[in-house]
Amino acid sequence: MTDYKIELLRVIYYDFPYCLCRRTGGGTETDMEQKLMIIEDEPLIRNELRTLLASNGYEVSAPEDLTGIVEQVKAEEPHLILLDIKLPHDSGFSVCAQIRVFSNAPIIFVTSCSTDMDELNSIMLGGDAFITKPYNTAILLARIASLLKRAYPAQGSEQLKYGGAVLHLDSGMIAYGEQKAELTKNELKILYYLFKNAGKICSRGDIVEFLWDNQLYVDDNALSVNINRIREKLAGIGLENFIKTRHRQGYTL
Amino acid sequence: MNGKLYWKNKLPFILTNLFCMILMTLFLLACGNAVSVVEMILIVWVLILMVGMGIAYRNRKKELQKLLTMAEGLQERYLIQEVMRLPERADDQVYYQLMKMAGKSMLEQIGEVRRERLEYKEYIEQWIHEIKTPIAAMKLLCENHRMDFTRELLLELEKTNRFTEQALYYARSEHTEKDYAVREINLIDVVHQVIADNKYLLLHNKVSLEVAERMETVYSDEKWLRFILNQLVANAVQYRTEQPVLRFFAYQRQDQVILSVEDNGIGIPACDLPRIFEKGFTGQNGRIMQQATGIGLYLCRRLCDKLGVGIMAESSREGTVIRLSFHINCLICEV
Repeated sequence: MTDYKIELLRVIYYDFPYCLCRRTGGGTETDMEQKLMIIEDEPLIRNELRTLLASNGYEVSAPEDLTGIVEQVKAEEPHLILLDIKLPHDSGFSVCAQIRVFSNAPIIFVTSCSTDMDELNSIMLGGDAFITKPYNTAILLARIASLLKRAYPAQGSEQLKYGGAVLHLDSGMIAYGEQKAELTKNELKILYYLFKNAGKICSRGDIVEFLWDNQLYVDDNALSVNINRIREKLAGIGLENFIKTRHRQGYTL
Repeated sequence: MNGKLYWKNKLPFILTNLFCMILMTLFLLACGNAVSVVEMILIVWVLILMVGMGIAYRNRKKELQKLLTMAEGLQERYLIQEVMRLPERADDQVYYQLMKMAGKSMLEQIGEVRRERLEYKEYIEQWIHEIKTPIAAMKLLCENHRMDFTRELLLELEKTNRFTEQALYYARSEHTEKDYAVREINLIDVVHQVIADNKYLLLHNKVSLEVAERMETVYSDEKWLRFILNQLVANAVQYRTEQPVLRFFAYQRQDQVILSVEDNGIGIPACDLPRIFEKGFTGQNGRIMQQATGIGLYLCRRLCDKLGVGIMAESSREGTVIRLSFHINCLICEV
């Protein structure tokens, strides 16, 4: 019980300002380095998940040796845990219950068993989400982001910066110097993707896929229309040729 | 009971009686009895014989008829030997015994087949769970190492996943009640999930989507509903036209919420429409496309029945509309 209280205090006094200072830090990174832990016995999935999550701006630890996993969780204090139900030594459920004794970090169950009984079990034991294999990576990432946001609420608006332009995600505006322009949902998401991948070439296919992952079902033609509109708006606030077209490859900032 | 055959079977008995009558007549006449006395005896004999045999026939017929009606009334007819009384006649008892033996050995056989089937079903379910790990690994590999061909590989993986899901739900569709969690779900979440599940299929075929901004919430099982919608999306893509469009929207009508999935595909011929939910029915479209198995919509119907969801199809040259109707439970709404 005292452990639990200390943990709670730690979350309030330590984590909270920690999130804040990381989040408001400038650059194009908005994601603070939140630490995720993958508890999975299948090496290939473990490694690929680590790559996926690391490339999405999280700090990831994926222990290979799962004996005494609970102690490792205690030592590493991850912000969120991805937990497989079928583990070699112990079932994921009991690991979850043991983690819950000392930590409130969100736990996502990832499993190939998709019976409702398992789902119910996972909820009863304090799991926060339940995702079945083969997971849709977009859904998995969205779940992780929303759980982290809920568990560690950040204050201050999220913004992305590049080349003097500032993208305000909360208000859906882009600002350059004093001037501002309002963006539609589609435009905001397209710009978000370009800002996140600033400097890289973003193929049209990748942008469309990203939009689909965000539940905006835009096709190829509509993407061209949206890009043109963004360019007009950017020109309106004094940003000429901000988005460059690479012939047959895509767009880049 | 066949009356003619019954009397034919009684022929030896009647002939024996006749033979006895002749012998007795000869004996009585030889003893010097009057013809009238012999006649008298013969008439009485024949009368008693006829009456006796008639009553025996009637009773037998009644008894057997009772058994027949009893068997007809039974749901599991093979259980008749458990229900009927032990017959009184010795030869009937032999048949009764034979019947019991046959029934018992049949039950044993059925039990064995059932057990084997159950084991096989469990194996299939387990296999499907196991195959999902490598599918998940392949998917992750593709997403992490994007190249030109990974998008196509992901499309194939989506298909692989859909077929394995189909097998899983086919195996499970008998006992839905064991695996079923009715919750309040927002239809829009399910639709978005289904689109995400089929992202590469839809993108590859350049399907434009129209999804309503808002949808009603219903009480149902999300997982099953997702499977049903996955099948519908796969069908819509398979039977598409040049510029495929897929629309999802929901509305309330009286005490029902209707989720409508519309496409502008080749449509279903009117003569096929009533039968599309039948197992193994592929119809004219199936003959053109070759890939139709006649399982997808059959499973949809079956799962819908179990979930208490109505499913209707409407079709014309301009496309097909599938409507899923969910009952609104007024009690839950009011509380």
